[in-house]
Amino acid sequence: MSYSEETLMAYADGELDPAARAALEAAMAADPGLAQRVARHQALRARLRAALDPVLDEPLPQRLLESVRGAAAPRPAAKVIPLKRPAAPRWSWPQLGALAASLVLGALLGPLVLHPPAGGGAVITRAGEMLAGGALARALTEELASNRTPGSPVEIGVSFRARDGGYCRSFQLREEKALAGVACREHDAWRLEVLAQSPPQPPAAGGYRPAATALPPSVARTLDELRAGEALDASAEAAARAHGWER
Amino acid sequence: MSAAPQALREALVALLPRLRRFARALARDVHDADDLVQIAVERALTRSGQLRPDAPLSSWMFGIVRNAWLDELRARGRRARVFAPEESAERVGDASQGGHAEALAVQDALARLPEEQCEAVALVLIEGFSYKEAAHIMEVPIGTLTSRLARGREALQEMLDESGGARR
Repeated sequence: MSYSEETLMAYADGELDPAARAALEAAMAADPGLAQRVARHQALRARLRAALDPVLDEPLPQRLLESVRGAAAPRPAAKVIPLKRPAAPRWSWPQLGALAASLVLGALLGPLVLHPPAGGGAVITRAGEMLAGGALARALTEELASNRTPGSPVEIGVSFRARDGGYCRSFQLREEKALAGVACREHDAWRLEVLAQSPPQPPAAGGYRPAATALPPSVARTLDELRAGEALDASAEAAARAHGWER
Repeated sequence: MSAAPQALREALVALLPRLRRFARALARDVHDADDLVQIAVERALTRSGQLRPDAPLSSWMFGIVRNAWLDELRARGRRARVFAPEESAERVGDASQGGHAEALAVQDALARLPEEQCEAVALVLIEGFSYKEAAHIMEVPIGTLTSRLARGREALQEMLDESGGARR
């Protein structure tokens, strides 16, 4: 069978369905010329990434950060989540240390949001609200802080009840850009109360980062302000999950 | 209407590195690219109410960058985009360290692509969007996206082969 250049490109781009992919891989194994044609497309991808990826590591220009965070748009106080809620007592929770130690500040937003895996982006919007989507929504619904799921792109930090009685959970996304946040269950979805990039951490051996890193201040503050009491223990958390996180 | 909720701002900050990379692929010049990102961010914040239900933030945001770039090109005229090679080398060289010759060759080649091929290549090959997502961002059918992508790729291969593929 002869393959069109378009098909080989689609293979390099991960766009072939599993059957077509398997057939092409078998053909490549038998035909070095074909494998070479595919390699050419893969090499171009790699070359483009290598040329542009350094931009990701450049420090963000202050003016861009100010555009995003600053007063570029009207910002009604009522919508500023971390500031609006009544102040809560500071953390006195003895497990705080354990929490911090267990939070693996991996990294992320980019990839999950940007090239959503099969399940779609980590952040979706509905009626102007930011909701968890895809892998993040799945993890928030299914995973337990007390029993972490190995290999999950999401690390659940802590589960707790908010002052209004609803369930909220803190989380971190792993990937190249650390992102942490708090989501609260609202009907059939997880509403993102806050989402922030974790401060950069030096990578540690083995791909994990030192666990004693702080949550981004906006996330820590929101956690503080939302939390009505102690974090759920393992059995309370499992029970909440069993009831679909309904208050 | 919720004008730019805090969570959106934070998500945008997290997206900035990738938006800058995309803008750099389109505009090449560092300052032009950051201007583009800034314009796009400002538009996004004033239009946060237009976020489509359940749409990934990234597609929406990359679409805004792309449209802002098209506006910019229309405003300044396509020819302005072609810099003299010496000038471009100097500009890009200022902003990136290491891997110069190779990165320059690639960025120059990208800059010589017709606009619609350049954006297809940037979205799929650099940003890693699926064909479906890229077509959505570019507001074209998938067939149009794949043909632009194929043509852009072949043109790039040709230019880069000429410029010396082994040079690093």
